[in-house]
Amino acid sequence: MNIWNTLILDPMINSLIWIYSGLGENFGLAIIVFTILVRLITYPLTASQIKSTRNMQELQKSKKWQDIQKKYKNDREKLAQEQMSLYKEMGVSPFGSCLPTLIQFPIIIGLYQAIIRALAVTPIQLLELTRHLYPFYNAAALIPLNNYFLWMDLSQPEKDYGIAIAGFTIPILAILVVGTTFLQSRLMTPPSTTGEQGANMSRAMNLYMPLFMGYLAYTFPSGLALYFVTSNLVGILQYGIMGRLDWRNLIPSRFSSGDKKE
Amino acid sequence: MKRKQYIFILVFIGAAVMLSACAGAANTATSWPGLTVNDQYAYVAYNTQVYAVDLTNGSEVWRYPAEADNNITFYADPELTGEGQLITGSYDSNLYSLDVETGRQVWVFPDAENRYIGAALVDDSSIFAPAADENLYSLDLDGRLQWTFNTEGESWAQPITDDECKCLFLSSMDHSVYAIDPQNGTEKWRSEELGGAVVGTPAYNNDGVLYVGTFSGQLFALNAENGAVIWEFTTQEEGWIWSGPTLADGVLYFGDLSGYLYAVDAETGTQIWQRDPEQDEEEIVGSPLVMDESIYFANNFGYLYKLSKDGVKIWEVNVDPSNGNGKIYTSPKSSNGLILVAPIQVDNLLVAYNEDGTKKWDFIPAE
Repeated sequence: MNIWNTLILDPMINSLIWIYSGLGENFGLAIIVFTILVRLITYPLTASQIKSTRNMQELQKSKKWQDIQKKYKNDREKLAQEQMSLYKEMGVSPFGSCLPTLIQFPIIIGLYQAIIRALAVTPIQLLELTRHLYPFYNAAALIPLNNYFLWMDLSQPEKDYGIAIAGFTIPILAILVVGTTFLQSRLMTPPSTTGEQGANMSRAMNLYMPLFMGYLAYTFPSGLALYFVTSNLVGILQYGIMGRLDWRNLIPSRFSSGDKKE
Repeated sequence: MKRKQYIFILVFIGAAVMLSACAGAANTATSWPGLTVNDQYAYVAYNTQVYAVDLTNGSEVWRYPAEADNNITFYADPELTGEGQLITGSYDSNLYSLDVETGRQVWVFPDAENRYIGAALVDDSSIFAPAADENLYSLDLDGRLQWTFNTEGESWAQPITDDECKCLFLSSMDHSVYAIDPQNGTEKWRSEELGGAVVGTPAYNNDGVLYVGTFSGQLFALNAENGAVIWEFTTQEEGWIWSGPTLADGVLYFGDLSGYLYAVDAETGTQIWQRDPEQDEEEIVGSPLVMDESIYFANNFGYLYKLSKDGVKIWEVNVDPSNGNGKIYTSPKSSNGLILVAPIQVDNLLVAYNEDGTKKWDFIPAE
């Protein structure tokens, strides 16, 4: 028995197809609804991550933290020891913000795999899909899934079918992914409190991550791009509901200097 | 820009390239070999090339293209015309005609907008090629388009005709079968929704009955005049039927994805016998090969079986006995007393067995 398939992939594939059947056999809507459901289910992890990040930021703003930074700036080993003591003293886990992300990672991978596998378009892929289907619903009546949603062929990269003007395929999905990823990272990235190096890293992430995601959206089947866009928008909404969005980060003057101001 | 930022960008580019490579791999993980034989040669279409293999010793006669191109891949069974052409569809959406003696390209038909998964049907004057763009293309033997017939789903199977070629029958992933006039491409009838995709080629008998297996786990007998269902047979565990049945002497032989093999009376739809799978997760994808008094079929564990016509096992062989990695999804073929199988996930692309189960040769393409 393959544990990954049993615990992650099979439930996801079958949920996705089940939702598809309930939404008028529209796989685009199924991806959107399924992504929202997964984000809702993993909301406690997201909330925990936000809380840990906030605690860490507050700690790094504290006088004690600043003092030990100055005091041991030439002794990295001692600085690390003192930082660990401070974490303990303040009850903050240095891994508190990355652990929920790590837990979410397999879910994201599983979701990606589920989307790609459900959209089987070749014999090997279809044969593989049949091995993941639960017997207690009539999947045969649904297979093959309808891959089309709006202008998209969800099983193909947009570069292969997209709307072309003068021979150039307009990467609409990639643009949407870049835009929403950029928006999300700007709105949700807290000001860096770890000095110039942290600010540089933060700026680079805010710039390159959206481009990277856009490249993936352009290269991979469009179903994945739809997932990226939905996930980004739901993420922004979740942060908004928690009151954690920083709209000031969208002010152009803060693009270049905002991270340095803190 | 600082050194760390350069490193950061390089890491991103590296990750993008790696992920794109994964995406490319996902897009090319596609199918199993297509296989056709005549008295002299076997023609195998797999991945980037089509091979002609000498049946006497398993040596390569030619390959097309000479240099592999990752954008051109072949999986559909190649088909021979009576005029020395080998017709083979590609995943690059082109249908190729090759000179059967030399492998030289004769013509290319480029109109399809998606890959060719199913084999073309060839008769004296026409080629009927189903593409995954939901169209069946009719061409003359020089590759000129005669007509196009559109369905509501992809077709992954070779069409068939009745004996007088008055009607073409095309199975479709849209859960139905179409009857088409081969002269002009007009629809004669479309069957009712059959409950599941029809992936395999139907079987036809001279009494005007068509037999199709579906993903709903049912085998249907359809009236070839109007598509009406005559009878239906449901498999054990409602196992999905991938390939079409093989009809011989009034008996239909077919397997399913639950690993069962069946013999069903073609007239009544009653089961004559059933062979249970020997192990869990066994799958039978290809159609059985029926010869004289024997049935040959293969499974996803790389086994080729020979049964008597009453379903009793005579022998079994594995294409990869030392490692057990081989899988056989392609239907076995026969020529000159040889049984040919085209496995995947092993080096040998084609293996020839004698009728007693001993291996005669195998073909491993040279790098």
